Amino acid sequence: MREPISTAKPVSASKAQQSGKLSRFWRRTRIVTSSVWAKPEGKFAVLILGLWVLAALVSLVWTPQPLLATNGYEAWQTPSRIHLLGTDGTGADLLSWLLAGSSTNLAICILTVSFAAALGTLLVAATVSRSTALSNTSIVLVDALISIPTVLIALILAVPMGASVAVIVLACGLGYGLNLARVVRPQALLAANADYTYSALSSGASGWQILISHILPNIAQPMAVQLSLSAGTSILAESGLTYLGVGVPSGLPSWGHSLATSVKFIAVYPLTVLWPGLVVTVVVVALNLFGDALRDAIDPASNAALRKVAA
Amino acid sequence: MRFLLRRLLLFALALLAISLVIFAALRILPGDVATIMAGLNAPPDRVEALRAQLGLNRSLPQQYGDWMLGLLHGDFGLSMLTGRPIAAQVGSRAALTFPLITLGLAIALIVGIPLGCLSLMASSSRLRSFYHILSIVGGSIPALWGGLLLILLFSRGVGLVGLLPSQGFPESGWADFGQALESLTLPALTLGILVGASLMRYTRSALGELADSGWIDMARACGMTHNQALVRVGLRLALPQLVSVVGLTFAEMITGAMVVENLFALPGLGSGLVTDLGNRDLIAVQSELFMLAAFFLGVGLIVDLLHRALDPRLKASSAVGEVNA
Repeated sequence: MREPISTAKPVSASKAQQSGKLSRFWRRTRIVTSSVWAKPEGKFAVLILGLWVLAALVSLVWTPQPLLATNGYEAWQTPSRIHLLGTDGTGADLLSWLLAGSSTNLAICILTVSFAAALGTLLVAATVSRSTALSNTSIVLVDALISIPTVLIALILAVPMGASVAVIVLACGLGYGLNLARVVRPQALLAANADYTYSALSSGASGWQILISHILPNIAQPMAVQLSLSAGTSILAESGLTYLGVGVPSGLPSWGHSLATSVKFIAVYPLTVLWPGLVVTVVVVALNLFGDALRDAIDPASNAALRKVAA
Repeated sequence: MRFLLRRLLLFALALLAISLVIFAALRILPGDVATIMAGLNAPPDRVEALRAQLGLNRSLPQQYGDWMLGLLHGDFGLSMLTGRPIAAQVGSRAALTFPLITLGLAIALIVGIPLGCLSLMASSSRLRSFYHILSIVGGSIPALWGGLLLILLFSRGVGLVGLLPSQGFPESGWADFGQALESLTLPALTLGILVGASLMRYTRSALGELADSGWIDMARACGMTHNQALVRVGLRLALPQLVSVVGLTFAEMITGAMVVENLFALPGLGSGLVTDLGNRDLIAVQSELFMLAAFFLGVGLIVDLLHRALDPRLKASSAVGEVNA
């Protein structure tokens, strides 16, 4: 069973109960964070992700070299004091572009994950709704569309929209949202058929109230894990779609761009291609490790400290 | 039987929906298909002629109907660029992409499932975290970069060890089997590593869930060791779940295949679609997108049916449901 977050009187909870619930929420959050941090993988992941956010923020106001300062005489330079990672074919500073790319990629990641979370929640809400038509439609929709790969959705969208960040966000968000709905569906259905839900129903709670106080707390954990894995996939998708010419438009810095532009010259300047790929790989590894650490930390079965709070 | 009918109906509905979406995506273009296909600065009469030729001056339902009827008859239209029938073009591209994906999937299965089992059997915690890191890193490498690293390591000309060609596919196609296989090796390896890592994780988690179940205890009581029980009993029990995962990884593979085909200059479905999109050969794009979507919906259908055939518990539970209903 899941932890008894909600008991028989969820609707008319008094203020004291509300604050008790809230403080328990914070205590649980603190336990989860500290158990993620306690593991070396978790520490590594959090540090890398922190570094990423920091780089993204810094790059908005400062990069080591101006992004548009290209100089044909300085093309394909090996790493030096001025260009720490060398330059690309136009003489632009690779490190500056990677730094600037981190903000684009962070934005894509956040937008994609938010869209997926919203869509997934809506689909789950439809699945557990009391209207059979709505719930059947959502189940059918998810099952039917889940086998369409995101790249195909992206290519369809790219026909009218051209290469744009929106194509990545919409296509990936749609794909991951469907996936999310399918992954958390069993738990959502369990919660929807639990005694406390029927009890809330019979004391007059509305569908939305039940969704917020009974269904969402039960699926929040698998959702968080799934979304952190999706965040990693969205970074990988960015590099793939941008390389295919339907992702980030040229001119906007992104890791996928840095990787894609160096591909043609791999035979002559193999060093240039190493850095962007390495950055992408390390960040995706960090996101996946974070997802794994979160899964262990959030599951009462593997985290003893959490069981104590629940009890 | 009821399940089969429902699933087939779902398949047909999804096919219809996706065809409408693709059709709509091409019709809400700023300007219209003919203007874009004729190119910039095309004289108006040329655009008009193209519009008539493509049947674009007819009503939208008529256009959609024509397209669908054509598809049903295996008539996909003509490529604007080469003038060849699109069906033939797709056929020759599929003759590259399907072997590529199959080879990649084979590599992924050979690598992923045993490694997944091994990572669960690992006795020391150090070994366990090694397998864990291996599966995570393997699945975190962008396909593009993985392919590039393999080129840098193994390709003729560029690589440290000049073993395999890094570009292109023999003109003669599969007539020259050895050479064709050689040129697919590095791309398939790129895909295989990528997907193998995720298969490894799935195998590990599916078996891990079973490890605490009564089934394994039962097998051990019959005299198997823990590892024997995991491989012989656990894998069979995890089979339905693994089949589903393999089906879904197909979708992952076509994404990888598009990138890999472009990188290795292979004339396959993925690179062809991207080329047609770049060339604004929209009639070809429309049919190709639909065929790929149909293929994936088909894979989804087959996977669902297989899953059901392999897991008798599902059938039993729904039979009970039907009796009760």
